[in-house]
Amino acid sequence: MTGPAAMTAPAPPADDGRAGLRRDAQRERAFFLSLSLPALVLVGLCAMLPILWILRQSVLTLRGEFTLANWEKLLSSSLTWKSVWTTVELSGATLVLCMALGIPLALALASAPQKLANRLLILVMLPLWTSILVRTYGWLVLLRRDGLVNQALTGTGIASEPLALVYNFTGTLIGMVHFMLPLFVLPVYAAMRDIDGNAIRAAASMGASLPRTLATVVLPLAAGGIRSGAMIVFIYTLGFFITPAVLGGGQVSPVAIRIEKVMSTFQDWGQASALGVLLLILVAMAAAMLAAARRLAGRKGRTHA
Amino acid sequence: MNLFRSLPSAALAMAMAAPLQAQTLTITTSGGDYGAALREALWAPASDALGYQIREDTQSDSLAALRMQVMSGAVSTDVIQMGSLEAAQAAAIDLLEPLDPGIVDIDGLPEGARNAYCHPFDSYGTVMAWNTETYGDAPPRNWAEFWDTETFPGRRALRANAQDLLEIALLSDGVAPDEVYDVLATGEGLERAIARLEELKPAVAVWWSSGAQSTQLLKDGEADLVVTWNGRAANAAADGGAADYSFAGSVIGTDCLAVPAGAPHAAEAMKLIAAMTTAEREARLTDHILYGPVNPAAYATGLIPEERLALLATAPANAGTSVFSDPAWWVEHGQEAQIAFDEMMNR
Repeated sequence: MTGPAAMTAPAPPADDGRAGLRRDAQRERAFFLSLSLPALVLVGLCAMLPILWILRQSVLTLRGEFTLANWEKLLSSSLTWKSVWTTVELSGATLVLCMALGIPLALALASAPQKLANRLLILVMLPLWTSILVRTYGWLVLLRRDGLVNQALTGTGIASEPLALVYNFTGTLIGMVHFMLPLFVLPVYAAMRDIDGNAIRAAASMGASLPRTLATVVLPLAAGGIRSGAMIVFIYTLGFFITPAVLGGGQVSPVAIRIEKVMSTFQDWGQASALGVLLLILVAMAAAMLAAARRLAGRKGRTHA
Repeated sequence: MNLFRSLPSAALAMAMAAPLQAQTLTITTSGGDYGAALREALWAPASDALGYQIREDTQSDSLAALRMQVMSGAVSTDVIQMGSLEAAQAAAIDLLEPLDPGIVDIDGLPEGARNAYCHPFDSYGTVMAWNTETYGDAPPRNWAEFWDTETFPGRRALRANAQDLLEIALLSDGVAPDEVYDVLATGEGLERAIARLEELKPAVAVWWSSGAQSTQLLKDGEADLVVTWNGRAANAAADGGAADYSFAGSVIGTDCLAVPAGAPHAAEAMKLIAAMTTAEREARLTDHILYGPVNPAAYATGLIPEERLALLATAPANAGTSVFSDPAWWVEHGQEAQIAFDEMMNR
């Protein structure tokens, strides 16, 4: 894409036809930009304004005077740092599991015949069409002490007594991976579908084993998709509330849960707002890190080419 | 419409009507089935007896509604039903009119329940409930036994909130019911309660956050011992769960009636509160809901059937070892207590 400078650059006087074309192109671009105006207004009103309002509220007392007390209290509390750590831990673990499960799944989908792949994709998408509440409570029913999973484990003698699969970190993680897996698989699958089959055939014809082909040809070519998937999973899960609230049994308290708790037990809007801003900073940091990783990878890719 | 022309005649009509027409008071309740029960049993018969007309208003968040009315200087409510803790918060920021002890019988209440701003009229207990399949005929009989994980092994479920649990922790540690708040007032009391909870923590499988969740945990056998409200424990058993509960050492919470600061008919409102909380009317309320009367005379009326008595937190047979939750302590120390509690949970 060209920047605005290119749009406003004076047309060279020599060729009238070319200047006309450029004017047309400019008009077209302005028209397309104007199409995004309603969306921009909506985002401004519904996302940016509330964020600014929360930011403002985090530095006000109940009476509306300026204060840094909310932030001091927040940053000096061990509860805050514990919840930040839990948040990162949950998102990180979800990401690792999504990659471990999702990359092989995407690979299988991408190498299947198109017709079969389409059918399998519907199966992958199916959970996305179910409400998160239904899915979360579904896991509660499956994972609890007398749930199906534990009945199967104790019935077959694999476990001598019911395992603690829910109301803890494990249960929360299972619920989150289940929610995020389709969102991870889709971009990875798309990237893998786009790989030129000739590249893989070339690797094979030069004697590369399957693992080697995967490591040196397929995965590097699908890296863009994997990075997008990773970004979606990690950033999306930073703000997760319902899953830890239902499956965590009070033992798992990421920032989102902490915000609710500060609101419902202390009615402390200032502190809850400061926590919200902290969560936003966390998201921005994660996004910046992933963007930096992409730039780094892009540079490396160019030097190798 | 010509406002100026109709105004004087309207004023005249009102002036003429006033002596003939009954007083109209506004009562604000939390509505729903509960609000209907309050109407049927308490304010409808009370206002009939006093000759007042009543306008009913419902608010789910009574403290927020009260704050808005008083702050804006447009108080429309004369009597408001609140939780006792919210009421203490409201009184602390001057949102309530002090009750007139000459009209409202404050001293007639049990000592722990008396309040100068909001008159308690019904109650619920935070109780211990257990799985009858796990413990059969020998469940824990008191909080000390609830804490005894060797004699009573099993998964506990507690509310993720310091309220009531601090009192319960001290009871389990041998503090007498009438000394709980004396111990809490010493400053070391809070530490002692938190340390006691931390002792039990390894046996706590779930820290629940909603009453419905506690019923579910009990009913499904996910937890063997659950601290919950008596209505929730009764629900688990009524829904076919292998569950039972006891009022031994229960912590009693109350709902109460108050008059907002600057209420238009404050004097009449006090009379209405007095008439709503007579022994007979409070006893009648238990026909509608399982909230125990706070006026002790209600139990002497003979209006409450035997099998219902067993289900009420304040019934003489149930209240012997219980503690009335003290809203004044919680207003002053609630935040500090909750932070200490959260830190304990996260350690």
